[in-house]
Amino acid sequence: MSLFKRLYRWVDLRVGIGEIADKELTGYLLPRNINAWYSLGSVLMVAFAIQVVTGMLLLVYYVPDAEKAFKSVNFIMNEVPFGWLIRLCHAVGSNTMIAALILHMLSTLVMGSYKSPRELNWLSGFLLFSLVQGISLTGYLAPWSQLSFWATTVATNSVSALPVAGPGMVEFLRGGKLVGPATLGRFFALHVAFLPLVIGVVIVVHIFLLKRTGISAPPFGRSDTKTPWQAERYRYQSHPGGIPFFPNYMLEDTTSICIYLAIFLGVVFFWPSMPFTPDAFVPADPFKTPAHIKPEWYFLANYQTLKIFPNELLGLTVQGAAMTFLALLPFADRSPERHPLKRPLFLSLVAGGILLWIALSVWGHLS
Amino acid sequence: MDSDGRRKFLGVCLAGTAAAAAVAAGYPVFRFLAPRSGATGLQKLVISASDLQEGEAKFFEYGGSSAVLVKTKGGEMIALSAICTHLGCIVQWVKEQQHFLCPCHGGQFATDGTVLGGPPPRPLAKIPVTVSGGNITIG
Repeated sequence: MSLFKRLYRWVDLRVGIGEIADKELTGYLLPRNINAWYSLGSVLMVAFAIQVVTGMLLLVYYVPDAEKAFKSVNFIMNEVPFGWLIRLCHAVGSNTMIAALILHMLSTLVMGSYKSPRELNWLSGFLLFSLVQGISLTGYLAPWSQLSFWATTVATNSVSALPVAGPGMVEFLRGGKLVGPATLGRFFALHVAFLPLVIGVVIVVHIFLLKRTGISAPPFGRSDTKTPWQAERYRYQSHPGGIPFFPNYMLEDTTSICIYLAIFLGVVFFWPSMPFTPDAFVPADPFKTPAHIKPEWYFLANYQTLKIFPNELLGLTVQGAAMTFLALLPFADRSPERHPLKRPLFLSLVAGGILLWIALSVWGHLS
Repeated sequence: MDSDGRRKFLGVCLAGTAAAAAVAAGYPVFRFLAPRSGATGLQKLVISASDLQEGEAKFFEYGGSSAVLVKTKGGEMIALSAICTHLGCIVQWVKEQQHFLCPCHGGQFATDGTVLGGPPPRPLAKIPVTVSGGNITIG
């Protein structure tokens, strides 16, 4: 018996890892018609892990002090061996992670996987989406460049449009009347401690819900595309006769992860300027606002929406209403039908929403 | 090639690819974390002779470590590593007794770095010193 097998047997006798592997890997059956879109969850786990590891490494050299932050980021980029690689992986990774997250949510929407009994999966996923946007926003300030300083000023300022509590909330968010060293301190704490912890907990909840409810079957390639769930008692949705997670679907997961890594590393090595504008290379100057300051691509639609409404509060209200509707969609859309082509109104709304989002983003970018 | 042989071959290829990927990811991380070579090199340090009176010691950073320059009562300049050879604490200069004392375990060193008492196994390491034109050059 090889050393590895002896070690495995020694641990298995004490912990029973073979039983766990049987249940969670080879014995975990998935629907036979499962498709590649279901692997985006695993892709996102890898993307989040890359952000955590590169973020921890950046903490070795980054100094969260308004006087030293920009210099420390320059030091990482120009002096530390492979510092540019670690920082670019972190900056590009935040963008590609959000892109993968949007695709994950879109596939869930189109395949109707948010419907009963998976309302809580959708809600926890929506919460994760908001938290990832929050961690991206707070991390944006860290380099203390003109871009990060003024993008944060604009982003935090929009809260002031809220009636009564708005101005107080902005001051609380910034730690002062304007963005300054106090803002960097609290955004840094949120970015490296509070938000990663909350995201980690919500990921665990998301996976727990997935494991308890059971994975949904795609509506494609089946005669009955309606959700079979009846709200009488708890029942795990199993897939008898399905394919095992290991090795079958793990191979699909690995393929998708490799495609993600190829795109991610392609941007890191061949389009390293993607996350930066020229203002990202100038230290923050609180007395000089650069022209045409714009947020990251995933906030461009929100930015443009605020601009086209004559009243900022109205713009915020419309966005808030749209986000609330999306979050509570499983409670509004109660039809059991899941096939997108059998839901023409829904499909038209999704397509229209995507086109509107793209149009607003392009408009925001060009304006 | 039989099925077992093919399986083993693919396993070796997969393990090799995984190992290559681990090295490709691990090497930049190692270099990122490793102390920078040359950042703590033994460059020369110049101190004005007027900064130090007879019987006094001046501590400074040298080559990424702590060092001390002593001007003995006879006017001789001696530069030593300030790191105790016992467990690495920084020695202190006792002006009244004109010797070094390690506050951690009581090791004592003479002005030339030799061990006077206590647990240190070796004398303090010497650093070259030259005096010319009112300047003291260390290193």
